[in-house]
Amino acid sequence: MHDVSFDVAAGELFGLLGPNGAGKTTTHRMLTTTLAPTTGTMRVAGFDVVAEARRVRDLIGVVFQEPALDDRLTAHENLHLHAVLYGLRPRFVGPRVQEALEWAGLNEHAGRPVRTFSGGMKRRLELARALLHEPRVLFLDEPTAGLDPQGRRRLWDQIGALRRVGLTAFVTTHNMPEAESCDRVAIIDTGRLLVTGSPAELKRRIAGRANTTLEDVFLDLTGRALRDEEATPRDRLLGFGRRGGELTR
Amino acid sequence: MIVSQQAAAPAAPLDFRRAPAPRLDLRVVAAMWRRELLRYRRDRSQWFGGVSRAVLWLIILGYGIGASYTNIEGFTYTQYILPGVAALNVIFASMQSAIALVWDREVGLMREIFVSPAPMPSVTLGKVLGGATVAVSQGTIVLLFAPLAGVALSAAQVLAAWAVMFAMGVLLVSIGTVIASRMATFEGFGAISNGIVLPMYFLSGAVFPIRGIVGLGGFLVELPVWLKVLMFINPVTYPVDLLRGALLSFRQLPLGLDLGLTAALPLVAVAAAVAAMNRLSVR
Repeated sequence: MHDVSFDVAAGELFGLLGPNGAGKTTTHRMLTTTLAPTTGTMRVAGFDVVAEARRVRDLIGVVFQEPALDDRLTAHENLHLHAVLYGLRPRFVGPRVQEALEWAGLNEHAGRPVRTFSGGMKRRLELARALLHEPRVLFLDEPTAGLDPQGRRRLWDQIGALRRVGLTAFVTTHNMPEAESCDRVAIIDTGRLLVTGSPAELKRRIAGRANTTLEDVFLDLTGRALRDEEATPRDRLLGFGRRGGELTR
Repeated sequence: MIVSQQAAAPAAPLDFRRAPAPRLDLRVVAAMWRRELLRYRRDRSQWFGGVSRAVLWLIILGYGIGASYTNIEGFTYTQYILPGVAALNVIFASMQSAIALVWDREVGLMREIFVSPAPMPSVTLGKVLGGATVAVSQGTIVLLFAPLAGVALSAAQVLAAWAVMFAMGVLLVSIGTVIASRMATFEGFGAISNGIVLPMYFLSGAVFPIRGIVGLGGFLVELPVWLKVLMFINPVTYPVDLLRGALLSFRQLPLGLDLGLTAALPLVAVAAAVAAMNRLSVR
């Protein structure tokens, strides 16, 4: 990543867009404190992601590209563990977990191991979990990948509702129709920031007309060449898991 | 880059959450411990593996080889390897629990734990203690076969065996965590099984005595020096000898050496595991 600089205002829904290999997940990981930037600074909710990582972790909620749930634990057990990790006082754990289950519409499935859940159910559980500790900023990495239209709609409705109560949301995606609903977006490619602005502003500035789509703006900026990537060790691990590899559940 | 600038002032303490402890948070330790046990409870294949190893090694190999050896140091072969097979189950369970981390940290729950404010030493300690508890339970499966091997166990012996197996579990889950933290990918337990589990097992004195075997004529057939050196380097040798002391009242090494290393090595290993997990959580 080089020369990437942007600010996100409180209460904003901010989209980070880019083709495969552009650096979206790298940015997501740096902002959520699990990858240290080699140079430059990043602040989340007023705190430095390196020097004050613990404060940042305290104030953010994170939804990952692939579900970061324990498949062998039930929905209830996953949420309970999260509540303890985020230091909820014991008397609040039970009620909060219950609220989260209801919010995700998973009350009837609370006692089932997560491995029996569909992709959409897992995603709802993850979003409810990321909000259980009332984060100030929510980070979502490709949150709608693999969801059906119903699942996608519900997810965006829920994110929209959260914005109205003042939550800041930072979403990485390469789904352009979804990015249209962001307040502002940044488009990155090969680790460099190409442009930032509201979707309407970018259409005027880049395409020169308002009646176009963000997808056209995106393709104008990043070109039409296909992005082929080599499989990383992580991809190979994922493939091994999909084949039902041992010790992966 | 700045995400959500509004909160430059320190956050007001939230009433429903408390500030996380800097290092040791017992609730986090307990929650991670519980996670390992819940996972174990829902994994029948691991339980089956524990029973299967007991039958294969203790019953089939024990009786098979026992037919051609009259005794080892006054014990039948099945009796002699009983503590060793319990140790084998402990080694297997510990390594499985630790190596699952490779998967867990890339695509599993560990990513969620890394972005949480929970202190990493407590997370690691909970995982290690949980894995060790599972290992003790897997080792206990072998103890249930003791009557078949002709070994009568008292409650005190079982308690002593649990203590030794727990220390061994802590040692091995910690070593496994350090190994897992350096593995980029994982495509099968086979390499771990053949490269770590079985060497540790064979070189621990679990299946043949450290000092060699007394042959039919009463001559001691000594082990080659290189083999002995490998056995003394193996950290599992000492708890296995102590476990044999607990179950059969027979040891091959001085009690002080066994006790000292069985107690001290896990502490060193846990410290190494905590350091490895700290490195993993921020790369």
